[in-house]
Amino acid sequence: MDESPQGEVTLLLAAWRDGDPDALNKIMPLVYAELHRIARRTWSQQAQNNTLQPTALINEAYLKLANAESTSFKDRCHFFAVACSAMRQILVNHAKSRLTEKRGGARAHVSLDEVQPVHQEAAEIVALHEALEALQAVDPRKSRLVELRYFGGLSIEETAEVMGVSVRTVNRDWRLARSWLIRQMNRESS
Amino acid sequence: MSSAPSWEDIERLYHEVLELPVSEREALLTAVDPALREEVESLLEADSSEELLSSPPASIAADLLDAHPGGLTAGERVADYQVESLISIGGMGEVYLAHDTAGRPVALKILRRHLIVSVQAVDRFETEARAAAALRHPNIVTVYESGRSAAGLFIAMEWLDGSTFRAIMDAGDVTIAQAIDWGGQAARALAAAHDAGILHRDIKPENIMLVREGVVKILDFGLARHGAPASPEPISMGSSGTISGTLSGTLMYMPPEILRGETATRASDVFSLGVLLYELTAGRHPFAGETPLDVFEAIECRPVASAGSVRSGVPEQVDRLILRMLDREQSARPSANEVSDLLREI
Repeated sequence: MDESPQGEVTLLLAAWRDGDPDALNKIMPLVYAELHRIARRTWSQQAQNNTLQPTALINEAYLKLANAESTSFKDRCHFFAVACSAMRQILVNHAKSRLTEKRGGARAHVSLDEVQPVHQEAAEIVALHEALEALQAVDPRKSRLVELRYFGGLSIEETAEVMGVSVRTVNRDWRLARSWLIRQMNRESS
Repeated sequence: MSSAPSWEDIERLYHEVLELPVSEREALLTAVDPALREEVESLLEADSSEELLSSPPASIAADLLDAHPGGLTAGERVADYQVESLISIGGMGEVYLAHDTAGRPVALKILRRHLIVSVQAVDRFETEARAAAALRHPNIVTVYESGRSAAGLFIAMEWLDGSTFRAIMDAGDVTIAQAIDWGGQAARALAAAHDAGILHRDIKPENIMLVREGVVKILDFGLARHGAPASPEPISMGSSGTISGTLSGTLMYMPPEILRGETATRASDVFSLGVLLYELTAGRHPFAGETPLDVFEAIECRPVASAGSVRSGVPEQVDRLILRMLDREQSARPSANEVSDLLREI
């Protein structure tokens, strides 16, 4: 009943690699649905006190969707890249709707303490997303790196693997990209 | 005269400075072009500031999943519908059991706001809604309404209490008489849609249900656009309220022309129905394979053993009809109307 959707993903990855711009749109709901399934199960197992790490979700979604054994290294890298993009879109869209809700007062019944940290992070994510789009124009590789590291939660080593560059390059690029983004966000907010 | 420094120069100097002991940095910076120096200094200042980007956005991720564990909760309203329970989370969003103002049960399909990333996604959803709403046939699920709500785009459709063909086939043998009856009903639905100029594009056992009194209903008309697997959606609703349906299903029912990337035609739907009819009749899939690639190859070039050679008792006319539906040449396949007529005669 719960068969692996690997055939679908393999086709979509191929389409994405061939430059089909709609492939990400199609992969995203799959990633999203998988995240939900995993999150629901994780919660029922551990009840409370767990922080959800995007990378753990992506890893598990990957294992489920892409059947690691029969998938090539190249496809694995593609999957992570697409999943991280999907994660970015999902989180940014969610952050935006959170910020709209706040203005609209849709959650006025929730105490401010509860809402504040999430809203702060939501505002930060939206600002970062916009700064990242600006970085994309200056240095696409670094923009992609931040997507993998921050939105996808990949480690330095995993990022190097997916991007096909050395760990040293990732470290250097990450540091400069981070400085650039912080500066950009400061400029935008002042 | 100093022009705007290049990104390469900024990058090089930034790393050079960072590699130096703090006491030696000033000397290097004073030696370069002032505009370049300003760029690099402002970046170095940002480097030492704030905690930003130090950890992944875990709390917003948790909040997202918390806020949408299945999205809507019981009692919530979407347009005029009151949500009762989540049925499935699928490719394009979620499906709920809900009630209209008269208390009639409806299946409510929602494309959530945060999944709407592109005009294409909205287009696809609205195309589906329009195509499905235009069809009125006893063997096609009825769409009541579609529109936009605070929760996202929605489609309200007839609530079906039954099982998908997938669940039925998984559960055990289907008699040959049942296969012919059900296949005939599905063919009539397809013929009606084709007469109305609408293709299904994703006929598979997950998209066809058997409801009480042996009535067959086809779901999800008009989902995929160019024959791409755009309907990775387990929308099927079982009587137990559980979901059956797979993503890999789509590939197994694709005609060769779609695998080659061509546009879907009426004959493509007929092929997919032929695969389904073969499976119901013979009790096994005509293109079964270990991996997606095996299936690919089987659909494109493996000779199909007739259903009658796999299971005894299959009427010869049915046997021949199925092989024609599975012909690799589109022009050699019968129309849905012809399939419907032939199955009715048996």
